[in-house]
Amino acid sequence: MTRFISVGCAIEVAGLSHDYGAIRALSNVDLQVERGEIFGLIGPNGAGKTTLIRTIVGSLHPRDGKVTVLGLEPQADRWKLRSHLGYMPQAAALYDDLTVRANVSFFLAGHQRGNGRAQVEESLSFVELSDRAGHRVHTLSGGMKQRLSLACALVHRPEVLLLDEPTAGVDPELRASFWQRFRDLASKGTTIVVSTHQMDEAYACDRIAILSRGQVVAADQPRLLAPGARATVRLWRNGQVSEHSVADYRDELPGLLSTPADRIEIEHETLEDVVLRLIRGGQ
Amino acid sequence: MTTATGLTRSFTVGRRVFAQLRGDRRFLALSMVAPLVVIFLLKTFWDSIGTVGLAQANFAAPAGVFIVHFVTYVLTAIVLVRERVAGTMERMFVDGYRPGSIVAGYLGGYTVLATLQSILILIELNLLFDLGFGFADNVAVFVVMWLMAVLSMSLGVLVSNAARNEGQVFPFIPLVMVPPVFLSGLIVAVDSLPTWAQVVSRVVPLYYGIEVVKAVLAGGSMLDALGALIMLPVLIVAVLFLAARTLRESR
Repeated sequence: MTRFISVGCAIEVAGLSHDYGAIRALSNVDLQVERGEIFGLIGPNGAGKTTLIRTIVGSLHPRDGKVTVLGLEPQADRWKLRSHLGYMPQAAALYDDLTVRANVSFFLAGHQRGNGRAQVEESLSFVELSDRAGHRVHTLSGGMKQRLSLACALVHRPEVLLLDEPTAGVDPELRASFWQRFRDLASKGTTIVVSTHQMDEAYACDRIAILSRGQVVAADQPRLLAPGARATVRLWRNGQVSEHSVADYRDELPGLLSTPADRIEIEHETLEDVVLRLIRGGQ
Repeated sequence: MTTATGLTRSFTVGRRVFAQLRGDRRFLALSMVAPLVVIFLLKTFWDSIGTVGLAQANFAAPAGVFIVHFVTYVLTAIVLVRERVAGTMERMFVDGYRPGSIVAGYLGGYTVLATLQSILILIELNLLFDLGFGFADNVAVFVVMWLMAVLSMSLGVLVSNAARNEGQVFPFIPLVMVPPVFLSGLIVAVDSLPTWAQVVSRVVPLYYGIEVVKAVLAGGSMLDALGALIMLPVLIVAVLFLAARTLRESR
């Protein structure tokens, strides 16, 4: 993959742990996100994705460990850092009684920088909501609210964008459109951290980290996670089928074929299978 | 953060709160009408049990002050918790709004509502009860109502920190609102309470509000209870400071 615009670390997470009472949400998480890359956080509900994002944003004070974003600490340097951060929470987090434009303007005004009106119109155009700018938010569909939430997160042109399940409940066409927008932003140097359940979205990331029970169980480029994956080899002999789960069929197939077979079928694990296996604690 | 930047942010939050209020007509109407209905019921109740004239007037103005205190406190607490539950509070923080700006902005936005509410309640009190108030007396009671409304908003912000959802605001209502009924002199004179209760009453904001109103009802002016009058803004600043220091961005 040669998509990286610039080298250098945008986000560094080291030994991060956090609890909600007796529940361990994050356990000794280590991560590095390069500048200008799209980094996916993959995992089931309760894996710790939201907690990790909110810790990076600085909304949560972790029990242990260290987070650095653009060389700043989310807690100690929160006000300095936040003008460089864009955050799209899982819930739309919008003001239903205000218009689309008023919402974007309001969240931009907190940063007190840039050309307000032009940036608001630009971000509304980016998410294709310019024609609904004067409408109140409660009149929008769920997908439109998600687009508006994205517009609010990027209106101040942040260097790092943190998106917590931005495509949850969004139809496939809109999802594709979202990912096109993420790719556009990354191509201009924006670092994006995005959490998702969708495996096709994982493939669209430059790198992913798979989270399970608060731990990172794997982190790599998605296409590098899959090729080393296991395969299921099915062999037909005299009308009988035998199934073999192998770590690397290229090494193990000759041994399996010591007795000739009538038919051979090799089924590779998909990324989804790999993720599920890792989440379930398999090797 | 410069003072100018902080003020600009406060103004932006206040303008947004006010725009939301204007957009939510039902909320606006309910918060205006509910206290008026309660005062009307109070009048009906007093008429039914046979109290007349001066006795009613002595209780009506303090009761009006308490109703403003109560309604404003509950509304502010619920709206703030709603912000937190919806995630907009967290988003405000992430987008650079500081706690002081948020609290000041809310105060600004809701002050418009509190002012309207105080005026309407005062008009109703004058129409329903034989208060015998002159212009200066009405101004005095309005000032007390308005200060109590601002104080109630600050208390609402403070208490909203302890509630994780709108439902959790309700247990705080008796906790924050019922003791003042007994300790402020609204029903029973503070002097007739046990010593410990008299000491506690000095930290109850409503006590100072009622003291000023009683001075007016006794035929004096609000300046006759200057100490109590000064205590109201002092308490407002103290509670506001606490509210801004403790404002949480998320649940």
